[in-house]
Amino acid sequence: MLVLRGYSRLAGIALLSLGVFVILAPFLWVALQSFKYEIQILQGSWNFEPTMFNYVDVLYSRRSDFLSNIWNSLIVAGVSTLCVLVVGTLAAYSLSRLAWSGWIRNLFLGWTLIFNMIPPLTLVGPWYLIFRQIGMFETLGSLILTHITLHLPMTVWMMMAYFKELPKEIEEAAMVDGCRRIDAFWRISLPLVTPGLIAAGVLAFVFSWNEFSVALNLTGRDTATVPVAIARFAQQYEVQYGQMAAASILSTIPALLLMFFGQRFVVQGLTMGAVK
Amino acid sequence: MAWKSKLALAATTALIISACPASAQDSFADVGKQEPITILINASPWYNGFEKVVGLYEEQTGNKVNLEVTPFNGMLEKARSAVRSGTSPLDLINVNATNSTEFYQAGYIEPMKEIDPSFEVPKEVLGLDDAGCWDEAKKYRICSSGKLMGYTPNGNVQLFYYRKDVLDEKGLKVPVTFDDIIKNCAVLQNPPESYGYLQRGERGDSIQYDFMAYLLAYGAKPVADPANGDYTVTINSPEAKAALDKFIEVAKKCSPQNYGTLGQGELIQLLQTGKGMQAHAVVAAFPNFDNPQKSAVVGKINAAPLPRATPEGKPGVAIGSWVFMIPKNASDAGKKGAVAFSKWFLTYKAQYEYALGGGIPVRTDVFTSDLKDKPEFRWMPAYLDEIEYGVQVYGYVEAPAVSEAVGLRLNQALVGEMTPAVALNTLAEDMKAIFEKGGRKTGTLPPLAD
Amino acid sequence: MSLSTPSARRQGLSDFIDRHFKLLTLAPALIVLVALTLYPIANLFVMAVSTIRFESGGEIWAFTPLINFKQLLNDQIFRIALWNTLLFAIASVAIEMVLGLGLAILVGSMTAFKGVMRTALIIPILMPPVAIGSMWKLMYSFDFGVLNQIVTGIGFAPVNWTGSPSLALWSVVIVDVWHWTPFVFLILFAAVEGLPKEVIEAARIDGASNRDLIFKIIIPLMMPAIVVALLFRTILAFKVFDEVFLLTSGGPGTSTEVVSLHLNKVFFQQNDLGYGAMLSLAIIAATIAFLWVARSASAALEKR
Repeated sequence: MLVLRGYSRLAGIALLSLGVFVILAPFLWVALQSFKYEIQILQGSWNFEPTMFNYVDVLYSRRSDFLSNIWNSLIVAGVSTLCVLVVGTLAAYSLSRLAWSGWIRNLFLGWTLIFNMIPPLTLVGPWYLIFRQIGMFETLGSLILTHITLHLPMTVWMMMAYFKELPKEIEEAAMVDGCRRIDAFWRISLPLVTPGLIAAGVLAFVFSWNEFSVALNLTGRDTATVPVAIARFAQQYEVQYGQMAAASILSTIPALLLMFFGQRFVVQGLTMGAVK
Repeated sequence: MAWKSKLALAATTALIISACPASAQDSFADVGKQEPITILINASPWYNGFEKVVGLYEEQTGNKVNLEVTPFNGMLEKARSAVRSGTSPLDLINVNATNSTEFYQAGYIEPMKEIDPSFEVPKEVLGLDDAGCWDEAKKYRICSSGKLMGYTPNGNVQLFYYRKDVLDEKGLKVPVTFDDIIKNCAVLQNPPESYGYLQRGERGDSIQYDFMAYLLAYGAKPVADPANGDYTVTINSPEAKAALDKFIEVAKKCSPQNYGTLGQGELIQLLQTGKGMQAHAVVAAFPNFDNPQKSAVVGKINAAPLPRATPEGKPGVAIGSWVFMIPKNASDAGKKGAVAFSKWFLTYKAQYEYALGGGIPVRTDVFTSDLKDKPEFRWMPAYLDEIEYGVQVYGYVEAPAVSEAVGLRLNQALVGEMTPAVALNTLAEDMKAIFEKGGRKTGTLPPLAD
Repeated sequence: MSLSTPSARRQGLSDFIDRHFKLLTLAPALIVLVALTLYPIANLFVMAVSTIRFESGGEIWAFTPLINFKQLLNDQIFRIALWNTLLFAIASVAIEMVLGLGLAILVGSMTAFKGVMRTALIIPILMPPVAIGSMWKLMYSFDFGVLNQIVTGIGFAPVNWTGSPSLALWSVVIVDVWHWTPFVFLILFAAVEGLPKEVIEAARIDGASNRDLIFKIIIPLMMPAIVVALLFRTILAFKVFDEVFLLTSGGPGTSTEVVSLHLNKVFFQQNDLGYGAMLSLAIIAATIAFLWVARSASAALEKR
């Protein structure tokens, strides 16, 4: 990569710090609001005695199931991310390295892209009918399946881009040495696209974690996910800012943790494959 | 704790009373053993009151009620999904009055009397301009020729709010007309510390609803005579123009600089922080003003009926209610259970407890009970004064499309994208097209001169 | 087969996989797509040429191929919305691509704290959109917002962020840039990490400057990832809904009316499924047209 020295290094660090600050400042501001009563939020006070009221209300009030909402979200986002990574990466490899005829590849890629353009609003009705019909309504399984479908196009396209970045010659050389196709994929190409795999995984996870309209329709009280729960704080007549801020912070933390451990899991799994 | 003991007391009185015949006023209904039901209800300021009443119902009757608490923005979608296929997972659904027409007309709702012929809405319950009735032939909300499809759990209207302390201190009178408001606000307007009058100008439902206070007060109406099938659009009448001119004048003279995007949330916040001196806003907002966690003006805001066009005129009271209704595709046990709950919920005692918990009751006798003398319910007399003028503006299936057009054109006039006359003329054309699409007998007035 | 040892059987299985590798790798994706996308897409097309009424306990579909299309041609609000969406998409995607690429290359050239920085930089996309919309609305608030606190604190007049027709769309763009730059950054940072180090080292030894490295080697090598980021970011921008709905709901007037907001009103609020489906198709067509024009333009530029 670039090697920055002297002034350009300082400038680089300064620019980066500015970027991190601009991105983090609103988040920190939200975190700050979560410790205030609503009147202090509205008055924009900076001097205030922090209160845990919002957190207590979000977690323990009678109408709240926030912990089970987080649990549901963790399962849905975790499982659907894992599945979409497997399905999407295989498809991406297949399309970019194995000799599919042009029209099949174009049809597949075109179809996924157009599917990605469809406003989610129009997908919800048909999916509701399908899952009512097969008796999977209000289950986490139905939500997981739809999230795999929703995030498959992006995963396939991203992974294709990362596979394309790899020089073809590496695999070809290995195969000349007697390596089978499956080994070339598993031991050579896949470890090399680990950063891409992680990026695709993070995005699939994040999109699943925040998906609202499908989750709203396919879940009931017991299976509701975090975005559905948080939307309850945006009411007809008022937004409960304190609770919403607290809920946002509470929803961000487990997502960050899971992504952190998930990354290590993926990296370790792949290095093991590569070493064997 | 106080709540628990009150609940126990209520439960015991109910037990004693149910043993002997009592007058309607002091007993809960005895509804017998019912299967569990599921109610679709939105998270809202009055949800806590509803939850408490449901808890009381479960305790008294032993019948189980599941509450499907849904974000406001997801209510319509959830309700539609439930009624459109298979057996509805929901037995009692709460639908916004504007969208309720769609459910009635589609035949997705079981009329109350077809489930239980003995079901009657008690005479003390507010009809709120026939919110729960539907005439399928006329495609119009009307009780005299239609069927009872549901009842409203929450009769929301707007009230005029003012800072009693400030008005007293400055020797200002509580305004009766819009011109009084402008006079008061000449004294009160001192941005950004204080604003003379707050009303919602935000595009969509906000401006649509808040403008009705003017439109109805000026004696105008959107459509000539929908109850009798005459859908001639009258939104560009001279009276409507006068109302819109006044609305814009008040916005410009008395509101913050962002009057064109002022929404419900921000309006209530301006009152809570003590910047708003006079305003009109929904009843549901009132408990916020007295909550020290949310408000800097606890105990200082009072309510009065909405302003009028002239001292002799009537206030323009548009009702924005919800309607509880029972899906046709709910299970038989669920329907029966939902009717049983409804009977119980509409009793005086249940409504009294509902009000105590923070709900807006729908029985007139609760408004005239001892509650009105308690400081936290000081809005009740104003509500009762006003409710007799209450109007459901959109009683037809085209309601969502029409209110959307109204919300857009008015806002364009307010922010200056169009002149008021052009906006109203355009709106009249929009509405005529909508009614034509629905096969109504329609037409327009001659366009207003710009 | 039944006599074979476990390891031989596994060998057999992996041979089987290897022989049918091409089909087996694509099959799972095909199954998912057939099961869950065929019906919704077909349904969308049928709805677009139908008039759907809800009466007497059911849906009544009538085949009216031209009615919805005519309504689309006469829909002035859709035209305004399309123009606003176009402005919004071009501005926000362009800014996000530049910032995201810059950040990715910068973080890639750091020697320490890469993991921490990547985590910090993706926090905005972790926040639920409804929270982003509501909290930014509060930050933009004319009377209470922290932004106007800052603006008046340094001595300027308060800014009417979302209330002024000329500024509102750009206020939404700011939120969008904050929200989605991390998306671009994440995709491109992975590409930076995957760059073949030998090639860059070789170029450096040949005396290439940083500037040359970036524009002649790194960016061309990253092109596939840049295209994917651009593609999916553009699609997301054409679908923008939450931010606009929560910040301005299309106002003041029509100054922030975008296509998905209009669609939401027709399809969802007014329950006009036929015309709503037609609008969805129009949005998809507009997105494709936009991407096609962008691609042709960049191809033409490259030739010059």
